[in-house]
Amino acid sequence: MSQFALQVNGVSHRVDTEPDTPLLYVLRDDLHLNGAKFGCGLGQCGACTVIVGDAAVLSCLMPVSTVGARAVKTIEGPGNGALQQAFIAEQAAQCGYCIAGMIMRAQALLDKHAAPSDEQIRRHMALNLCR
Amino acid sequence: MPLPRRRRLTLRIILLAVILLALTLLACTWRPALPVRPDGAAASYDTALVTLGANLSALGLCANCHTARPSAPFAGGFPVVTPFGTVYSTNITPDRRTGIGDWTEAAFARALQDGVARDGSHLYPAFPYDHYTRLAPADIHALYAYFMTRDAIDAPARANDLAFPLGFRPLLAGWKWLFLDRTPVAGHAGQSADWNRGAYVAQALGHCAACHSPRNALGAVDQRRYLGGGAADGWYVPALNARSPSPIAWTTDSMTAYLRTGIAPQHAMAGGPMQAVTASLANADAADVRALATYIVSQMGNPPSQVEQRALAATRQPVVLPTPPAGNSQLALGHRVYQDACARCHAAGRTAGSGGALQLPAAVALYDPDPRSLIRIVRDGIGPGPGEPGRWMPAYAGILDTEQLTALAAYLRHSAAQPPWPDLAHHVTAIEKEAPAP
Repeated sequence: MSQFALQVNGVSHRVDTEPDTPLLYVLRDDLHLNGAKFGCGLGQCGACTVIVGDAAVLSCLMPVSTVGARAVKTIEGPGNGALQQAFIAEQAAQCGYCIAGMIMRAQALLDKHAAPSDEQIRRHMALNLCR
Repeated sequence: MPLPRRRRLTLRIILLAVILLALTLLACTWRPALPVRPDGAAASYDTALVTLGANLSALGLCANCHTARPSAPFAGGFPVVTPFGTVYSTNITPDRRTGIGDWTEAAFARALQDGVARDGSHLYPAFPYDHYTRLAPADIHALYAYFMTRDAIDAPARANDLAFPLGFRPLLAGWKWLFLDRTPVAGHAGQSADWNRGAYVAQALGHCAACHSPRNALGAVDQRRYLGGGAADGWYVPALNARSPSPIAWTTDSMTAYLRTGIAPQHAMAGGPMQAVTASLANADAADVRALATYIVSQMGNPPSQVEQRALAATRQPVVLPTPPAGNSQLALGHRVYQDACARCHAAGRTAGSGGALQLPAAVALYDPDPRSLIRIVRDGIGPGPGEPGRWMPAYAGILDTEQLTALAAYLRHSAAQPPWPDLAHHVTAIEKEAPAP
Protein backbone atom coordinates (compact mmCIF):
# COMPACT_ATOMS: atom_id res chain seq x y z
CA MET A 1 0.00 0.00 0.00
CA SER A 2 1.15 3.53 -0.78
CA GLN A 3 -0.42 6.91 -0.25
CA PHE A 4 -1.31 9.10 -3.22
CA ALA A 5 -2.38 12.75 -3.26
CA LEU A 6 -4.98 13.51 -5.91
CA GLN A 7 -6.66 16.71 -7.07
CA VAL A 8 -10.15 15.72 -8.21
CA ASN A 9 -12.66 18.35 -9.32
CA GLY A 10 -10.66 20.97 -7.44
CA VAL A 11 -10.66 19.04 -4.15
CA SER A 12 -7.53 17.49 -2.61
CA HIS A 13 -7.70 13.86 -1.56
CA ARG A 14 -5.32 11.34 -0.04
CA VAL A 15 -5.89 7.68 -0.78
CA ASP A 16 -4.11 4.56 0.45
CA THR A 17 -3.95 1.97 -2.26
CA GLU A 18 -1.68 -0.17 -4.44
CA PRO A 19 0.22 1.88 -7.05
CA ASP A 20 -1.16 -0.12 -9.97
CA THR A 21 -4.79 0.44 -8.95
CA PRO A 22 -6.64 1.96 -11.89
CA LEU A 23 -7.69 5.56 -11.36
CA LEU A 24 -11.27 4.44 -12.11
CA TYR A 25 -11.33 2.18 -9.04
CA VAL A 26 -9.98 4.96 -6.83
CA LEU A 27 -12.61 7.40 -8.12
CA ARG A 28 -15.49 4.98 -7.63
CA ASP A 29 -14.47 2.91 -4.60
CA ASP A 30 -12.44 5.37 -2.51
CA LEU A 31 -13.83 8.76 -3.51
CA HIS A 32 -17.38 7.54 -4.27
CA LEU A 33 -17.50 9.45 -7.55
CA ASN A 34 -19.57 6.95 -9.49
CA GLY A 35 -20.07 8.98 -12.68
CA ALA A 36 -17.23 7.33 -14.60
CA LYS A 37 -18.31 3.78 -15.44
CA PHE A 38 -16.56 0.46 -15.70
CA GLY A 39 -17.35 -0.82 -19.18
CA CYS A 40 -14.80 -3.20 -20.63
CA GLY A 41 -11.79 -2.62 -18.37
CA LEU A 42 -9.56 -2.94 -21.45
CA GLY A 43 -9.53 0.58 -22.85
CA GLN A 44 -11.87 -0.34 -25.68
CA CYS A 45 -15.21 1.33 -24.86
CA GLY A 46 -14.63 4.76 -23.27
CA ALA A 47 -17.26 4.52 -20.49
CA CYS A 48 -14.52 5.31 -17.92
CA THR A 49 -13.29 8.49 -19.66
CA VAL A 50 -12.24 11.35 -17.37
CA ILE A 51 -9.99 14.36 -17.94
CA VAL A 52 -6.46 14.24 -16.52
CA GLY A 53 -4.39 17.37 -17.04
CA ASP A 54 -5.79 18.57 -20.36
CA ALA A 55 -6.40 15.19 -22.00
CA ALA A 56 -9.31 12.77 -22.01
CA VAL A 57 -8.03 9.47 -20.64
CA LEU A 58 -9.41 5.99 -20.09
CA SER A 59 -9.29 5.82 -16.30
CA CYS A 60 -9.58 2.01 -16.27
CA LEU A 61 -6.10 1.85 -17.85
CA MET A 62 -4.46 4.62 -15.85
CA PRO A 63 -2.55 3.44 -12.78
CA VAL A 64 -3.11 5.84 -9.89
CA SER A 65 0.68 6.10 -9.55
CA THR A 66 1.01 7.87 -12.91
CA VAL A 67 -1.47 10.69 -12.17
CA GLY A 68 1.10 12.72 -10.24
CA ALA A 69 0.28 16.41 -9.89
CA ARG A 70 -2.14 16.47 -12.84
CA ALA A 71 -5.66 17.62 -11.97
CA VAL A 72 -8.47 15.09 -12.49
CA LYS A 73 -11.92 16.19 -13.69
CA THR A 74 -14.96 13.94 -13.70
CA ILE A 75 -18.58 14.38 -14.71
CA GLU A 76 -19.40 15.37 -11.09
CA GLY A 77 -17.08 18.38 -11.21
CA PRO A 78 -17.87 21.94 -12.22
CA GLY A 79 -17.24 23.19 -15.73
CA ASN A 80 -19.24 20.84 -17.94
CA GLY A 81 -22.77 21.98 -17.06
CA ALA A 82 -23.45 23.62 -20.43
CA LEU A 83 -22.36 20.47 -22.22
CA GLN A 84 -24.57 18.31 -19.96
CA GLN A 85 -27.50 20.60 -20.79
CA ALA A 86 -26.77 20.20 -24.51
CA PHE A 87 -26.73 16.39 -24.16
CA ILE A 88 -30.11 16.59 -22.37
CA ALA A 89 -31.58 19.01 -24.89
CA GLU A 90 -30.57 16.80 -27.80
CA GLN A 91 -31.69 13.62 -25.99
CA ALA A 92 -28.24 12.18 -26.55
CA ALA A 93 -28.64 9.46 -23.93
CA GLN A 94 -30.19 6.08 -24.63
CA CYS A 95 -29.48 3.83 -21.64
CA GLY A 96 -27.01 6.45 -20.35
CA TYR A 97 -24.18 4.13 -19.36
CA CYS A 98 -21.66 5.66 -21.78
CA ILE A 99 -22.77 9.25 -21.38
CA ALA A 100 -20.46 10.37 -18.56
CA GLY A 101 -17.50 9.23 -20.66
CA MET A 102 -18.94 10.82 -23.80
CA ILE A 103 -19.38 14.16 -22.05
CA MET A 104 -15.89 14.17 -20.56
CA ARG A 105 -14.27 13.32 -23.90
CA ALA A 106 -16.34 16.01 -25.62
CA GLN A 107 -15.37 18.49 -22.88
CA ALA A 108 -11.66 17.78 -23.47
CA LEU A 109 -12.15 18.62 -27.15
CA LEU A 110 -14.05 21.84 -26.36
CA ASP A 111 -11.33 22.86 -23.90
CA LYS A 112 -8.86 22.85 -26.81
CA HIS A 113 -11.14 23.94 -29.69
CA ALA A 114 -14.11 26.14 -28.83
CA ALA A 115 -15.79 25.42 -32.19
CA PRO A 116 -14.54 22.11 -33.58
CA SER A 117 -15.45 20.95 -37.08
CA ASP A 118 -17.67 17.90 -37.70
CA GLU A 119 -14.56 16.04 -38.85
CA GLN A 120 -12.69 16.90 -35.63
CA ILE A 121 -15.67 15.83 -33.52
CA ARG A 122 -16.03 12.51 -35.32
CA ARG A 123 -12.35 11.69 -35.07
CA HIS A 124 -12.09 12.76 -31.43
CA MET A 125 -15.21 10.93 -30.26
CA ALA A 126 -14.55 7.73 -32.26
CA LEU A 127 -13.03 5.98 -29.26
CA ASN A 128 -16.16 6.21 -27.11
CA LEU A 129 -18.76 3.60 -27.92
CA CYS A 130 -22.52 3.56 -27.40
CA ARG A 131 -23.94 0.08 -27.27
CA MET B 1 30.89 49.00 -73.89
CA PRO B 2 29.66 46.65 -76.65
CA LEU B 3 31.38 43.28 -76.87
CA PRO B 4 33.68 42.67 -79.83
CA ARG B 5 31.89 41.05 -82.72
CA ARG B 6 33.70 37.68 -82.37
CA ARG B 7 32.83 37.32 -78.69
CA ARG B 8 29.21 38.09 -79.40
CA LEU B 9 29.18 35.37 -82.02
CA THR B 10 30.75 32.84 -79.64
CA LEU B 11 28.19 33.70 -76.96
CA ARG B 12 25.35 33.20 -79.42
CA ILE B 13 26.71 29.83 -80.47
CA ILE B 14 27.00 28.71 -76.84
CA LEU B 15 23.49 29.94 -76.10
CA LEU B 16 22.13 28.09 -79.11
CA ALA B 17 23.95 24.90 -78.07
CA VAL B 18 22.49 25.12 -74.55
CA ILE B 19 18.99 25.62 -75.92
CA LEU B 20 19.40 22.70 -78.32
CA LEU B 21 20.72 20.48 -75.54
CA ALA B 22 17.78 21.42 -73.29
CA LEU B 23 15.31 20.71 -76.09
CA THR B 24 16.99 17.39 -76.85
CA LEU B 25 16.83 16.38 -73.18
CA LEU B 26 13.18 17.40 -72.98
CA ALA B 27 12.45 15.44 -76.17
CA CYS B 28 14.03 12.38 -74.57
CA THR B 29 11.54 12.61 -71.71
CA TRP B 30 8.58 12.76 -74.08
CA ARG B 31 6.28 9.73 -74.17
CA PRO B 32 3.35 9.43 -76.55
CA ALA B 33 -0.24 9.23 -75.43
CA LEU B 34 -1.55 5.76 -76.18
CA PRO B 35 -4.83 5.19 -78.02
CA VAL B 36 -7.98 5.27 -75.93
CA ARG B 37 -9.65 1.94 -75.27
CA PRO B 38 -12.83 1.95 -77.36
CA ASP B 39 -16.00 2.68 -75.40
CA GLY B 40 -18.06 -0.45 -74.97
CA ALA B 41 -15.08 -2.75 -75.44
CA ALA B 42 -15.75 -6.09 -73.83
CA ALA B 43 -14.87 -6.13 -70.15
CA SER B 44 -15.39 -9.83 -69.85
CA TYR B 45 -12.49 -11.91 -68.60
CA ASP B 46 -11.99 -15.50 -67.67
CA THR B 47 -12.86 -15.99 -63.99
CA ALA B 48 -9.65 -17.91 -63.36
CA LEU B 49 -7.65 -15.00 -64.75
CA VAL B 50 -9.52 -12.50 -62.56
CA THR B 51 -8.92 -14.71 -59.50
CA LEU B 52 -5.24 -14.84 -60.35
CA GLY B 53 -5.22 -11.05 -60.64
CA ALA B 54 -6.96 -10.70 -57.27
CA ASN B 55 -4.18 -12.72 -55.63
CA LEU B 56 -1.48 -10.67 -57.37
CA SER B 57 -3.19 -7.47 -56.24
CA ALA B 58 -3.23 -8.70 -52.63
CA LEU B 59 0.46 -9.68 -52.84
CA GLY B 60 1.29 -6.37 -54.54
CA LEU B 61 -0.55 -4.39 -51.82
CA CYS B 62 -2.40 -2.38 -54.50
CA ALA B 63 -5.34 -1.55 -52.24
CA ASN B 64 -3.05 -0.32 -49.46
CA CYS B 65 -2.38 2.88 -51.36
CA HIS B 66 -5.16 2.94 -53.96
CA THR B 67 -7.99 2.60 -51.43
CA ALA B 68 -8.49 5.57 -49.13
CA ARG B 69 -11.98 4.59 -47.95
CA PRO B 70 -13.07 0.95 -47.69
CA SER B 71 -16.38 1.89 -49.32
CA ALA B 72 -14.57 3.00 -52.48
CA PRO B 73 -12.03 0.28 -53.28
CA PHE B 74 -9.24 1.28 -55.67
CA ALA B 75 -10.72 4.78 -56.16
CA GLY B 76 -7.47 6.44 -55.00
CA GLY B 77 -7.07 9.61 -52.96
CA PHE B 78 -4.77 8.08 -50.34
CA PRO B 79 -1.95 10.44 -49.32
CA VAL B 80 1.54 8.99 -49.66
CA VAL B 81 3.73 11.27 -47.56
CA THR B 82 7.32 11.45 -48.80
CA PRO B 83 10.28 13.69 -47.92
CA PHE B 84 9.53 15.52 -51.19
CA GLY B 85 5.88 16.24 -50.49
CA THR B 86 2.59 14.38 -50.60
CA VAL B 87 1.51 12.32 -53.60
CA TYR B 88 -2.14 11.25 -53.77
CA SER B 89 -2.89 7.85 -55.24
CA THR B 90 -5.10 7.78 -58.33
CA ASN B 91 -8.30 6.01 -59.22
CA ILE B 92 -7.55 2.61 -60.79
CA THR B 93 -11.18 1.48 -61.14
CA PRO B 94 -12.49 1.09 -64.71
CA ASP B 95 -14.29 4.45 -64.60
CA ARG B 96 -13.73 5.99 -68.04
CA ARG B 97 -13.58 9.61 -66.94
CA THR B 98 -11.62 9.48 -63.67
CA GLY B 99 -10.17 5.95 -63.56
CA ILE B 100 -8.41 3.68 -66.04
CA GLY B 101 -11.52 2.63 -67.96
CA ASP B 102 -10.14 4.06 -71.20
CA TRP B 103 -6.71 2.40 -70.78
CA THR B 104 -5.84 -0.47 -73.06
CA GLU B 105 -3.80 -3.33 -71.66
CA ALA B 106 -0.76 -1.85 -73.43
CA ALA B 107 -1.26 1.42 -71.53
CA PHE B 108 -1.71 -0.47 -68.25
CA ALA B 109 1.49 -2.47 -68.88
CA ARG B 110 3.42 0.71 -69.71
CA ALA B 111 2.29 2.31 -66.44
CA LEU B 112 3.56 -0.66 -64.42
CA GLN B 113 6.80 -1.15 -66.31
CA ASP B 114 7.77 2.40 -67.30
CA GLY B 115 5.82 4.54 -64.86
CA VAL B 116 4.02 6.40 -67.65
CA ALA B 117 0.27 7.11 -67.66
CA ARG B 118 -1.90 6.51 -70.75
CA ASP B 119 -1.72 10.20 -71.67
CA GLY B 120 2.10 10.02 -71.76
CA SER B 121 2.77 11.83 -68.47
CA HIS B 122 5.39 10.42 -66.11
CA LEU B 123 4.15 8.93 -62.84
CA TYR B 124 5.79 9.55 -59.48
CA PRO B 125 7.70 6.62 -57.98
CA ALA B 126 5.47 6.77 -54.90
CA PHE B 127 3.78 4.27 -57.22
CA PRO B 128 6.40 1.52 -56.83
CA TYR B 129 7.02 0.87 -60.51
CA ASP B 130 10.69 0.62 -59.58
CA HIS B 131 9.62 -2.90 -58.51
CA TYR B 132 6.86 -3.53 -61.06
CA THR B 133 9.40 -3.14 -63.91
CA ARG B 134 10.26 -6.72 -63.04
CA LEU B 135 6.71 -8.14 -63.24
CA ALA B 136 6.13 -11.05 -65.60
CA PRO B 137 3.91 -10.10 -68.59
CA ALA B 138 1.46 -12.88 -67.69
CA ASP B 139 0.98 -11.31 -64.26
CA ILE B 140 0.34 -7.88 -65.76
CA HIS B 141 -2.27 -9.52 -67.99
CA ALA B 142 -4.03 -11.00 -64.93
CA LEU B 143 -3.83 -7.75 -62.98
CA TYR B 144 -5.41 -5.90 -65.89
CA ALA B 145 -8.27 -8.41 -65.98
CA TYR B 146 -8.77 -7.94 -62.24
CA PHE B 147 -8.88 -4.15 -62.30
CA MET B 148 -11.06 -3.93 -65.40
CA THR B 149 -13.68 -6.08 -63.65
CA ARG B 150 -13.87 -3.93 -60.48
CA ASP B 151 -16.79 -1.55 -59.91
CA ALA B 152 -16.23 1.74 -61.74
CA ILE B 153 -16.17 4.63 -59.25
CA ASP B 154 -16.24 8.29 -60.19
CA ALA B 155 -13.39 9.85 -58.21
CA PRO B 156 -11.15 12.50 -59.78
CA ALA B 157 -7.48 12.55 -58.74
CA ARG B 158 -6.41 14.97 -56.04
CA ALA B 159 -3.65 17.42 -56.89
CA ASN B 160 -0.28 16.45 -55.41
CA ASP B 161 1.46 18.71 -52.95
CA LEU B 162 5.13 18.59 -53.94
CA ALA B 163 8.14 20.80 -53.37
CA PHE B 164 9.23 22.96 -56.35
CA PRO B 165 10.28 21.96 -59.06
CA LEU B 166 9.04 18.37 -58.66
CA GLY B 167 5.65 19.26 -60.10
CA PHE B 168 7.46 19.27 -63.47
CA ARG B 169 7.02 15.63 -64.44
CA PRO B 170 9.62 15.35 -67.25
CA LEU B 171 12.23 15.42 -64.46
CA LEU B 172 11.04 11.93 -63.55
CA ALA B 173 12.53 10.58 -66.79
CA GLY B 174 15.96 11.40 -65.36
CA TRP B 175 15.10 9.61 -62.11
CA LYS B 176 14.02 6.56 -64.03
CA TRP B 177 17.15 6.63 -66.18
CA LEU B 178 19.22 6.57 -62.99
CA PHE B 179 17.29 4.08 -60.91
CA LEU B 180 15.02 1.71 -62.83
CA ASP B 181 16.15 -1.90 -62.92
CA ARG B 182 14.47 -3.85 -65.70
CA THR B 183 16.28 -7.14 -65.27
CA PRO B 184 13.86 -9.94 -64.40
CA VAL B 185 14.24 -11.38 -60.90
CA ALA B 186 17.04 -13.90 -61.26
CA GLY B 187 16.27 -17.50 -60.44
CA HIS B 188 18.63 -19.41 -58.20
CA ALA B 189 19.00 -23.06 -59.17
CA GLY B 190 20.44 -23.89 -55.76
CA GLN B 191 17.34 -22.59 -53.96
CA SER B 192 13.93 -24.23 -53.56
CA ALA B 193 10.95 -23.44 -55.76
CA ASP B 194 9.39 -21.71 -52.74
CA TRP B 195 12.43 -19.49 -52.29
CA ASN B 196 12.43 -18.51 -55.97
CA ARG B 197 8.72 -17.74 -55.94
CA GLY B 198 9.24 -15.71 -52.75
CA ALA B 199 12.10 -13.75 -54.30
CA TYR B 200 9.82 -12.79 -57.18
CA VAL B 201 6.89 -11.91 -54.89
CA ALA B 202 9.14 -9.75 -52.67
CA GLN B 203 11.01 -7.95 -55.43
CA ALA B 204 8.57 -7.62 -58.32
CA LEU B 205 5.20 -7.55 -56.51
CA GLY B 206 5.26 -6.96 -52.77
CA HIS B 207 7.89 -4.20 -52.97
CA CYS B 208 9.10 -4.98 -49.43
CA ALA B 209 12.27 -2.98 -50.06
CA ALA B 210 10.21 0.19 -50.59
CA CYS B 211 9.88 0.55 -46.81
CA HIS B 212 12.41 -1.98 -45.47
CA SER B 213 15.43 -0.41 -47.24
CA PRO B 214 17.07 2.96 -46.75
CA ARG B 215 16.56 5.44 -49.58
CA ASN B 216 19.16 7.76 -51.10
CA ALA B 217 19.01 11.55 -51.37
CA LEU B 218 16.87 11.30 -54.51
CA GLY B 219 14.39 8.97 -52.82
CA ALA B 220 15.46 5.78 -54.60
CA VAL B 221 15.92 2.48 -52.76
CA ASP B 222 19.59 2.11 -51.84
CA GLN B 223 20.35 -1.24 -53.47
CA ARG B 224 23.67 -1.61 -51.67
CA ARG B 225 21.71 -1.70 -48.41
CA TYR B 226 18.85 -3.84 -49.74
CA LEU B 227 16.38 -4.62 -46.89
CA GLY B 228 18.73 -2.79 -44.51
CA GLY B 229 15.92 -1.02 -42.62
CA GLY B 230 13.98 2.11 -43.54
CA ALA B 231 11.13 4.34 -42.45
CA ALA B 232 7.42 4.70 -43.18
CA ASP B 233 4.85 7.06 -41.68
CA GLY B 234 7.32 8.01 -38.95
CA TRP B 235 7.93 4.41 -37.90
CA TYR B 236 11.28 2.68 -38.00
CA VAL B 237 10.87 -0.20 -40.45
CA PRO B 238 13.09 -3.09 -39.34
CA ALA B 239 15.93 -4.39 -41.45
CA LEU B 240 15.22 -7.80 -42.96
CA ASN B 241 18.81 -8.58 -43.93
CA ALA B 242 21.74 -9.47 -41.70
CA ARG B 243 21.06 -6.26 -39.76
CA SER B 244 17.65 -7.48 -38.60
CA PRO B 245 17.17 -6.25 -35.01
CA SER B 246 15.14 -9.30 -34.00
CA PRO B 247 16.65 -10.93 -30.90
CA ILE B 248 15.21 -14.35 -31.80
CA ALA B 249 15.66 -15.95 -35.22
CA TRP B 250 12.50 -16.06 -37.31
CA THR B 251 11.39 -19.30 -38.88
CA THR B 252 9.41 -19.76 -42.08
CA ASP B 253 6.45 -20.76 -39.88
CA SER B 254 6.61 -17.71 -37.61
CA MET B 255 7.10 -15.36 -40.58
CA THR B 256 4.20 -16.92 -42.50
CA ALA B 257 1.92 -16.53 -39.48
CA TYR B 258 3.06 -12.94 -38.98
CA LEU B 259 2.54 -11.98 -42.63
CA ARG B 260 -0.96 -13.44 -42.65
CA THR B 261 -2.18 -12.39 -39.18
CA GLY B 262 0.13 -9.64 -37.94
CA ILE B 263 0.89 -11.74 -34.88
CA ALA B 264 4.13 -13.58 -34.16
CA PRO B 265 4.11 -14.48 -30.44
CA GLN B 266 7.90 -14.68 -30.22
CA HIS B 267 8.65 -11.49 -32.13
CA ALA B 268 6.11 -8.78 -32.76
CA MET B 269 2.58 -7.61 -33.37
CA ALA B 270 2.21 -5.71 -36.63
CA GLY B 271 1.63 -2.01 -35.98
CA GLY B 272 1.59 1.16 -38.04
CA PRO B 273 1.88 0.75 -41.81
CA MET B 274 2.70 -2.97 -41.49
CA GLN B 275 -0.82 -3.67 -40.25
CA ALA B 276 -2.31 -2.90 -43.65
CA VAL B 277 0.34 -5.09 -45.27
CA THR B 278 -0.61 -8.11 -43.17
CA ALA B 279 -4.31 -7.39 -43.78
CA SER B 280 -3.66 -7.53 -47.54
CA LEU B 281 -1.53 -10.66 -47.33
CA ALA B 282 -4.28 -12.35 -45.29
CA ASN B 283 -6.29 -12.30 -48.54
CA ALA B 284 -3.47 -13.64 -50.69
CA ASP B 285 -2.75 -17.24 -51.62
CA ALA B 286 -1.34 -18.99 -48.53
CA ALA B 287 1.33 -20.82 -50.53
CA ASP B 288 2.56 -17.53 -52.02
CA VAL B 289 2.79 -15.93 -48.58
CA ARG B 290 4.71 -18.94 -47.32
CA ALA B 291 7.06 -18.60 -50.29
CA LEU B 292 7.53 -14.92 -49.45
CA ALA B 293 8.30 -15.86 -45.83
CA THR B 294 10.83 -18.46 -47.01
CA TYR B 295 12.70 -15.86 -49.04
CA ILE B 296 12.57 -13.13 -46.37
CA VAL B 297 13.78 -15.45 -43.59
CA SER B 298 16.69 -16.48 -45.83
CA GLN B 299 17.76 -12.83 -46.08
CA MET B 300 17.92 -12.36 -42.31
CA GLY B 301 21.05 -13.35 -40.52
CA ASN B 302 20.98 -15.10 -37.18
CA PRO B 303 20.95 -12.94 -34.06
CA PRO B 304 24.09 -13.15 -31.88
CA SER B 305 23.68 -16.34 -29.90
CA GLN B 306 23.97 -14.71 -26.46
CA VAL B 307 21.26 -12.19 -27.41
CA GLU B 308 19.00 -15.00 -28.58
CA GLN B 309 19.70 -17.20 -25.55
CA ARG B 310 18.99 -14.27 -23.23
CA ALA B 311 15.71 -13.40 -24.98
CA LEU B 312 14.56 -17.02 -25.06
CA ALA B 313 15.37 -17.49 -21.38
CA ALA B 314 13.59 -14.25 -20.47
CA THR B 315 10.41 -15.29 -22.25
CA ARG B 316 10.04 -18.46 -20.21
CA GLN B 317 6.95 -17.86 -18.15
CA PRO B 318 6.23 -15.90 -16.12
CA VAL B 319 8.05 -12.92 -17.61
CA VAL B 320 9.65 -10.74 -14.94
CA LEU B 321 11.62 -7.78 -16.20
CA PRO B 322 14.76 -6.85 -14.25
CA THR B 323 14.99 -4.23 -11.51
CA PRO B 324 17.15 -1.34 -12.72
CA PRO B 325 20.41 -0.44 -10.98
CA ALA B 326 20.02 1.79 -7.91
CA GLY B 327 20.67 5.48 -8.37
CA ASN B 328 19.30 5.88 -11.90
CA SER B 329 16.10 7.85 -11.35
CA GLN B 330 14.93 7.67 -14.97
CA LEU B 331 15.21 3.89 -15.12
CA ALA B 332 13.55 3.65 -11.69
CA LEU B 333 10.59 5.72 -12.94
CA GLY B 334 10.41 3.65 -16.12
CA HIS B 335 10.39 0.46 -14.08
CA ARG B 336 7.54 1.77 -11.89
CA VAL B 337 5.52 2.76 -14.97
CA TYR B 338 6.14 -0.67 -16.48
CA GLN B 339 5.03 -2.44 -13.30
CA ASP B 340 1.91 -0.32 -12.78
CA ALA B 341 0.73 0.18 -16.36
CA CYS B 342 2.19 -2.61 -18.52
CA ALA B 343 2.92 -5.66 -16.40
CA ARG B 344 -0.66 -6.74 -15.85
CA CYS B 345 -0.80 -7.92 -19.46
CA HIS B 346 2.84 -8.18 -20.47
CA ALA B 347 4.14 -10.02 -17.42
CA ALA B 348 1.29 -12.47 -17.10
CA GLY B 349 3.03 -15.00 -19.31
CA ARG B 350 0.13 -15.13 -21.68
CA THR B 351 0.82 -15.57 -25.37
CA ALA B 352 0.23 -12.86 -27.92
CA GLY B 353 -3.14 -12.75 -29.61
CA SER B 354 -6.62 -11.91 -28.55
CA GLY B 355 -6.59 -11.05 -24.86
CA GLY B 356 -2.87 -11.70 -24.43
CA ALA B 357 0.21 -9.62 -24.75
CA LEU B 358 3.59 -9.89 -26.41
CA GLN B 359 6.44 -11.06 -24.22
CA LEU B 360 8.61 -7.98 -24.14
CA PRO B 361 12.07 -9.59 -23.93
CA ALA B 362 11.35 -10.91 -27.44
CA ALA B 363 9.71 -7.76 -28.83
CA VAL B 364 11.61 -6.56 -31.91
CA ALA B 365 10.78 -2.90 -31.23
CA LEU B 366 13.02 -2.92 -28.12
CA TYR B 367 16.00 -3.88 -30.28
CA ASP B 368 15.38 -1.34 -33.09
CA PRO B 369 18.20 1.14 -33.74
CA ASP B 370 15.87 4.03 -32.83
CA PRO B 371 12.85 4.30 -30.50
CA ARG B 372 10.22 5.63 -32.92
CA SER B 373 8.21 2.43 -33.30
CA LEU B 374 8.16 1.69 -29.56
CA ILE B 375 7.06 5.26 -28.73
CA ARG B 376 4.24 5.05 -31.28
CA ILE B 377 3.07 1.64 -30.06
CA VAL B 378 2.90 2.88 -26.45
CA ARG B 379 1.30 6.23 -27.31
CA ASP B 380 -1.14 5.15 -30.00
CA GLY B 381 -1.60 1.48 -29.22
CA ILE B 382 -2.36 -1.22 -31.76
CA GLY B 383 -6.01 -1.75 -32.61
CA PRO B 384 -7.61 -4.41 -34.76
CA GLY B 385 -8.00 -3.59 -38.44
CA PRO B 386 -11.42 -2.49 -39.73
CA GLY B 387 -13.91 -5.27 -39.14
CA GLU B 388 -11.32 -7.57 -37.57
CA PRO B 389 -11.53 -9.07 -34.08
CA GLY B 390 -8.76 -9.34 -31.51
CA ARG B 391 -5.36 -7.76 -31.06
CA TRP B 392 -5.63 -4.75 -28.80
CA MET B 393 -2.88 -2.75 -27.20
CA PRO B 394 -4.50 0.33 -25.67
CA ALA B 395 -3.13 3.80 -26.42
CA TYR B 396 -1.31 5.44 -23.49
CA ALA B 397 -1.32 8.98 -24.94
CA GLY B 398 -2.65 11.25 -22.19
CA ILE B 399 -2.21 8.58 -19.51
CA LEU B 400 1.59 8.78 -19.49
CA ASP B 401 3.13 12.24 -19.49
CA THR B 402 6.28 13.02 -21.49
CA GLU B 403 8.64 12.19 -18.63
CA GLN B 404 6.91 8.87 -17.88
CA LEU B 405 6.81 7.84 -21.54
CA THR B 406 10.49 8.67 -22.02
CA ALA B 407 11.45 6.83 -18.85
CA LEU B 408 9.39 3.79 -19.85
CA ALA B 409 11.09 3.60 -23.26
CA ALA B 410 14.53 4.00 -21.63
CA TYR B 411 13.72 1.27 -19.10
CA LEU B 412 12.37 -1.17 -21.69
CA ARG B 413 15.50 -0.66 -23.79
CA HIS B 414 17.60 -1.27 -20.67
CA SER B 415 15.58 -4.39 -19.83
CA ALA B 416 16.57 -5.82 -23.23
CA ALA B 417 20.28 -5.30 -22.35
CA GLN B 418 20.66 -2.92 -25.29
CA PRO B 419 22.68 0.34 -25.21
CA PRO B 420 20.52 3.43 -24.51
CA TRP B 421 18.94 5.06 -27.55
CA PRO B 422 20.59 8.37 -28.36
CA ASP B 423 18.04 11.16 -28.95
CA LEU B 424 15.26 9.30 -27.09
CA ALA B 425 13.88 12.49 -25.52
CA HIS B 426 14.05 14.25 -28.88
CA HIS B 427 12.01 11.49 -30.56
CA VAL B 428 9.38 11.52 -27.80
CA THR B 429 8.97 15.29 -28.05
CA ALA B 430 8.75 15.21 -31.85
CA ILE B 431 6.09 12.49 -31.84
CA GLU B 432 4.06 14.16 -29.09
CA LYS B 433 4.11 17.42 -31.03
CA GLU B 434 2.81 15.73 -34.17
CA ALA B 435 0.00 13.84 -32.36
CA PRO B 436 -1.05 15.50 -29.10
CA ALA B 437 -3.05 13.49 -26.59
CA PRO B 438 -6.81 13.42 -27.38
